[in-house]
Amino acid sequence: MTAEHIVVRDVRKTYQTATGPVSAVEGVSLTVHAQEFLTILGPSGCGKSTVLAMIGGLVPPDGGTIVVNGTAARRPDPKSVAMVFQDPGLFPWRTALHNVWFGPELQGTARSAREEAARRLLESVGLKGFESKYPRELSGGMRQRVAIARALALGSPILLMDEPFGALDEQTRILMGEWLGGIRLQARKTILFVTHSIQEAIALSDRIVVMTARPGRVKDVVSVSLPYPRDLNTPDAVALRARLWSQIREESLRAMAQEQA
Amino acid sequence: MRLIFLRGALLALVVAIWELIARPLDPVLYVAPSTLPQAALRLLNQPDIPPLLEHLGATVRAILAAYALAVTAGLALGFLMGFWRVVARAYEPILAALYAVPSVVWYPSMMLLFGLGTASKVAFGFLLGFFPIVLAVLAGIKQADPHLLTVATSMGASRWAIYWKVLIPGMAGTLAGGLRSGLALSVVGVLAGELLGSRAGIGYMINHVYNLLRTPEYVALAVLMATLVLAVDSAAGRLEARVKRWTG
Repeated sequence: MTAEHIVVRDVRKTYQTATGPVSAVEGVSLTVHAQEFLTILGPSGCGKSTVLAMIGGLVPPDGGTIVVNGTAARRPDPKSVAMVFQDPGLFPWRTALHNVWFGPELQGTARSAREEAARRLLESVGLKGFESKYPRELSGGMRQRVAIARALALGSPILLMDEPFGALDEQTRILMGEWLGGIRLQARKTILFVTHSIQEAIALSDRIVVMTARPGRVKDVVSVSLPYPRDLNTPDAVALRARLWSQIREESLRAMAQEQA
Repeated sequence: MRLIFLRGALLALVVAIWELIARPLDPVLYVAPSTLPQAALRLLNQPDIPPLLEHLGATVRAILAAYALAVTAGLALGFLMGFWRVVARAYEPILAALYAVPSVVWYPSMMLLFGLGTASKVAFGFLLGFFPIVLAVLAGIKQADPHLLTVATSMGASRWAIYWKVLIPGMAGTLAGGLRSGLALSVVGVLAGELLGSRAGIGYMINHVYNLLRTPEYVALAVLMATLVLAVDSAAGRLEARVKRWTG
């Protein structure tokens, strides 16, 4: 197994819109190592979700190369990559348990095997006893945990997470972050995480890739060597937050100026 | 429970007022509710009136045939159009426009094509029931949550799996609504077909007793029909509500 799980080289993406082409991503390169937690941090609309969608094989890049788990990413490959989105996207007509086994069901896994795996996963995300609940009967945080269990059920070594806690309230968001830290160590996954929250990035990541405003490029790559569990009030953490904030502030101001233009 | 009581009270009130108004008036024009049970009995076994059950059977069979055809054709065409977007874009406006035309205008051509027998009323019931079903399929496909499609795609779902496991369960509520409207309209179509021209069925009987000015029998038949349609539609409505609860 290679130590590099995701290699992105000089990837570009331009969207055609009613008012002409808009360059979303321009020459992004990054590498994610096996079992690393790498966060892409950037202002809204900087193309970070597009980068993730291209790595997940959902959106074809216009240029550059993406190699995931040793093969070129052209279409979704659930054996290598599982994705979690800001909107959990649970199937409302399926119970929590049936949502979790959706992936194995697609792969044709026998019912008893996928049921056992799904029950175990629901328990590991702290939802034992909620197997037969429908998504509308669960809170936002619980729904996102079901979605994460559903992604884990694919058994892929890589997890792509696109602002998974972005729609949750502050407290739930922090608790979910702590919880994800635990899950990650247990499940030994490579995680590529997208967020616009500096706090979240510092709390969770091994490395942080800071992106510029549109068209998205890599502005900076920062290693985070704070010990777990992370206290965001230590001098090191505060200094890191200040550094990231000055970069993000610059880019957010540019993004706002673009919107007004 | 309170709702049922309130509804029952309204019904009783209407019947009572009807009775009070009709009693002193001409019994041929103003049929009093108290005369209906006897009229209904007369419908069951009187030599000069066609036997009720036979005609009821003919009507129910025609409705079932019309509805089966409407469901089959509606689902088939709807999903075909769903698979080939171009076809849907080309023909959906035409379907919607045809649906807006008062369907009675097609009835004479149904009679010309199929004659006065069972075929023409089945064809008419089919025609009426077909549109809401095909349009419900199209609406259901259109309203599919694109995010759920993305999620399923990211998990490696094939186009086929997306159809069966995401699109169809997601549209079940809309589909159930369309199937219910289709059933109601198939019933209307068959009955209208029988009224406008046929030699069997409840609609034909209504026409027959009405022409003989046997108004109590006519009203009894009308009440019977209304009860039947209500029963069928409320059963369909309950099913629809269950499907909707399931799909959230």
